[in-house]
Amino acid sequence: MIEDLVVGLAGSGGDGVVSAGESLLAAASAQGFHALMTKSFGSQIRGGESSCRVRLSTRKVLNPGGVLDVAVALNWEDFRRFGAELPVGPETVLIHEAKAGPPPADFAPADRMPREVIGVPLAELAKASAGTDRAKMTVVLGALAGWFGLPRDGLDRGLQKKFAQKGEGLLEANRKALARGVAFAVEHPLISPRTLTLPIRASPKMICDGNEMCASAAIFSGCEFFGGYPITPSTEVMQILARELPRYGGVVLQAEDEISGVGAAVGASFAGKKSMTATSGPGMSLKTEVLGLASLAELPLVLLDVQRGGPSTGIPTKPEQSDLFAAAFSAHGDVLRPVLAPTSVEDTFRVTVEAFNLAERYQTPVMILSDQEIAQRKETVDPIDVSRFELVERIRPTPEQLAAGYQRFSATPSGVSPISHPGMEGGNYLAAGIEHDVRGAPTASGAVHAAMNEKRFRKLAPLQERADLFEIQGAANAPLVLVSWGSSAGVAREAFALARARRLPVKLLVPTLLYPVAEPVFRTFFAGVQAGLVLELSHQGQLYRLLRMFVDVPRGVTSFARSGAQPFRVDEVVQRLAQAAETLR
Amino acid sequence: MNTLLAPNDYKSPLKPIWCPGCGDYGVVQALYRALSAVGRPPHEIAFISGIGCSSRIPGYTTAYGFNTVHGRALPIAQGVKLARPELLVIVAGGDGDGFSIGGGHVPHAIRRNVDLTYLVMDNQVYGLTKGQLSPTSPRGLKTVTSPMGSLEQPINPLLTVLAYGAGFVAQATPADMPGMTALIEEAIRYPGFSFVNIQSPCITFGEEEQQLKAHKARMKPLASLGHDPANQLAALDLARAYGTELYTGVFFRNPSPPPTYDVLVRERQVELQRGEPRPRSRVLDNFPRS
Amino acid sequence: MTPVTGIDFERLSLRDALDLAVLIEEEARDRYLEFAEQLATHDTPEVADFFSRMARIEERHRTELLDRRRTLFGVTPSAVDRRNLFDVEAPEYEAARAFMGIRQALETVLAAEVKAHAFFSEALPRVKDPELRALFQELRDEEVHHQALVKAELARCPEKPDESEAYADDPVAQ
Repeated sequence: MIEDLVVGLAGSGGDGVVSAGESLLAAASAQGFHALMTKSFGSQIRGGESSCRVRLSTRKVLNPGGVLDVAVALNWEDFRRFGAELPVGPETVLIHEAKAGPPPADFAPADRMPREVIGVPLAELAKASAGTDRAKMTVVLGALAGWFGLPRDGLDRGLQKKFAQKGEGLLEANRKALARGVAFAVEHPLISPRTLTLPIRASPKMICDGNEMCASAAIFSGCEFFGGYPITPSTEVMQILARELPRYGGVVLQAEDEISGVGAAVGASFAGKKSMTATSGPGMSLKTEVLGLASLAELPLVLLDVQRGGPSTGIPTKPEQSDLFAAAFSAHGDVLRPVLAPTSVEDTFRVTVEAFNLAERYQTPVMILSDQEIAQRKETVDPIDVSRFELVERIRPTPEQLAAGYQRFSATPSGVSPISHPGMEGGNYLAAGIEHDVRGAPTASGAVHAAMNEKRFRKLAPLQERADLFEIQGAANAPLVLVSWGSSAGVAREAFALARARRLPVKLLVPTLLYPVAEPVFRTFFAGVQAGLVLELSHQGQLYRLLRMFVDVPRGVTSFARSGAQPFRVDEVVQRLAQAAETLR
Repeated sequence: MNTLLAPNDYKSPLKPIWCPGCGDYGVVQALYRALSAVGRPPHEIAFISGIGCSSRIPGYTTAYGFNTVHGRALPIAQGVKLARPELLVIVAGGDGDGFSIGGGHVPHAIRRNVDLTYLVMDNQVYGLTKGQLSPTSPRGLKTVTSPMGSLEQPINPLLTVLAYGAGFVAQATPADMPGMTALIEEAIRYPGFSFVNIQSPCITFGEEEQQLKAHKARMKPLASLGHDPANQLAALDLARAYGTELYTGVFFRNPSPPPTYDVLVRERQVELQRGEPRPRSRVLDNFPRS
Repeated sequence: MTPVTGIDFERLSLRDALDLAVLIEEEARDRYLEFAEQLATHDTPEVADFFSRMARIEERHRTELLDRRRTLFGVTPSAVDRRNLFDVEAPEYEAARAFMGIRQALETVLAAEVKAHAFFSEALPRVKDPELRALFQELRDEEVHHQALVKAELARCPEKPDESEAYADDPVAQ
């Protein structure tokens, strides 16, 4: 009996591979499994190679998994185009369209060649049962159900959802195709059978991706304005909000370019509304100047950067974690801007709410660094108890403060000065990107400039004490560490559990708050530490570098980093931890 | 006549950085008077600008001002208006701020037609940075960045804005204070994107023949030519003379202004919010559940 | 292009005419105050002081006229206000210059007085009421008198143009 199954499907765009993956995801979820699905495509808009991975488990799924347990290839060319994204091994059950013939000689190195390879006459079976070879993937789903104990009612419900509206005949036909696939599996049992343990009971779950979760969290947080521009892989956030936000009285503007999008959002914030923009790397670069304006004018703003392969146009469809430097530092001058990073779809809700709260409380732009994997992978998410989230509003001047002669940028002990907005009588002020005094009047005085910089930095000082924005697991005095963020943290968490099971003296740190670097938290964490890894997907190992700027990182803690589109695997992380453990005194 | 809102109620104590003799002094004076005539209190006015000498103007008024970044005043102002449509929104900047770095935003602000008024102080030069070429500088003009004479044709702001379909396009000069005051007031009152190109000369870097004395001699009120502002084609024709003639007055005023973007957005919100109210706390209910 | 709008001179009352005269002086006063402030900010202190003095002179004219108005008509609300005026006696903004000299400043004042004189001269034919005509004539003649004063000061000024500008630093880019 197995508790975890990773299925990889690959074919051409017209085969409905992703659609099948979604059915599998939905079926698994209905049965009570936790599940996660990622997709990957070629560069054509339609009809190019297409693949997906579905991982289902009775336990929470932390990452898309490594080597496939099951690989389904509708043809060899398309499957092989995905290379390291669909890794196979000796234990992989390799299922293929029989017509495609056996795997090519160089399909995998000898030590990674699957031992169990099954050719299924998918087109033939589809034609015979459903009347068309287009129902190939439905046959595959049936076969998977038969071999691995995947839930049939769930799959059936999935078929209903997909085909009921498209004509009664189609539903019936596909039901037959499903049954035929099951029959084939029964007739051709696996050499090494494995059946999924079914979850004890099915609990209701949401199925959504990171972009949907972010958009929903923004609505929850009270966002009233979104200004943005289409850019892969963040566009869905704008699309969802375009449909939903007006229902809550908000406004969505697809602007003429990235700069205009964030500009409009800053204008809306100046007008007193919670506002947001979303983009990816190239847009981040364009928005830089306006972000600086928001920082100088001390205006709240949430900016979601769904990181993708960079630099420049890079690889729009793959994840990477290489915008951290840009998120922290871009915008000339001494600017301090909080940067948060979610680690999963579920986490995106909490992090987005926190971003709005920080933006409002500290009157500053706040960055959310998501990445293409989290943003576009579908995950089952247990219901979120939203009642435990507090929502923060910007502090506004009281009638007394307005009557006494309001100073927008007054020197307060906390550094946060009450903020008025157009429409508020008595609160008139000049907001500007130019340096200003307490009233907002432009100034070139060095003394005033220093005081204002100090104010703008001081107001963020409480972030240094936000231990709640850091996940730490393991014994406090463990000498070996694993640090990771964003989507890589999903791999790190699983590797940590396995390393601990192997008795490695390791502790884990996953920061939600990446910048400013919370020095007290890291100092405590690194005290007495001898070795470890900082795991992240960027050529430079940006978090590692960032930590070393602000914290004494023990010499034995090294960067385990590489360029995006090559996600980490749990086994290689555990191996590196084991190697590091050998250096411990 | 609301005596509580005299022109000086719109004047802030901040001392302008403008050189004595700058055309912008006339512009801001006309603006005080226009705003007094319109009668909205300063706290209901949002005055957005870019970067440049003329972009300093919001700080010299008592309205809520926002000096933003070079070329981006129009998008930021649209965000302000869409977030709080009840505000009176005015945008100001120079010819460089508006038609050079900001040029990409002009067509979209016009076609979107958010209700705001855009005042461009056009002096054919970059004053704040000491006299460089600007997009409206005439061909052949010698400046610090075109020491041998500009090789570029200038942009024609009037023709550009008219061609993009703006519903109110006018030109003014501080050489005619009553005329300019009336035009600014009319532009503010126009429901939709309104544009006033103000020939406001720079006495430090501008050409001698562009100064206000020359304006007084050259300017021709469009009304005196018998121009009908409802005639868009005639307006386009007259606008072609930018640079040669100094026409003042209304080139075009759409006789049937369409509903503005902000009004349409509001109508849609009202429509969508009919029926069952959806509290934001229940937003996660939208997701499919198994 | 008239510097006064919205006023029908043929029907103008004495009270309103006095109010108009008061506002004309007030407008000039405010403009000289603005010039004084601009020039003080732009390092031209001598002429800034000169314009402050001009502002005080205009203020004196204003209060004289206001006293007359109050004697005759009390404090009944005025039917005219500053919105009817556009630089009748106030010098135009373009007249000011950083580093301007006294001669230039005096020429500015002179031009303003000439303008005001022209206004009253042009208005006179339209004014029918004898009391009003008398007032306008008086105001016109006052301007002539002021012009004479200014010309006298100009005569005392050195002929050669002011050289302050030549000593000033180049403009600064911001």
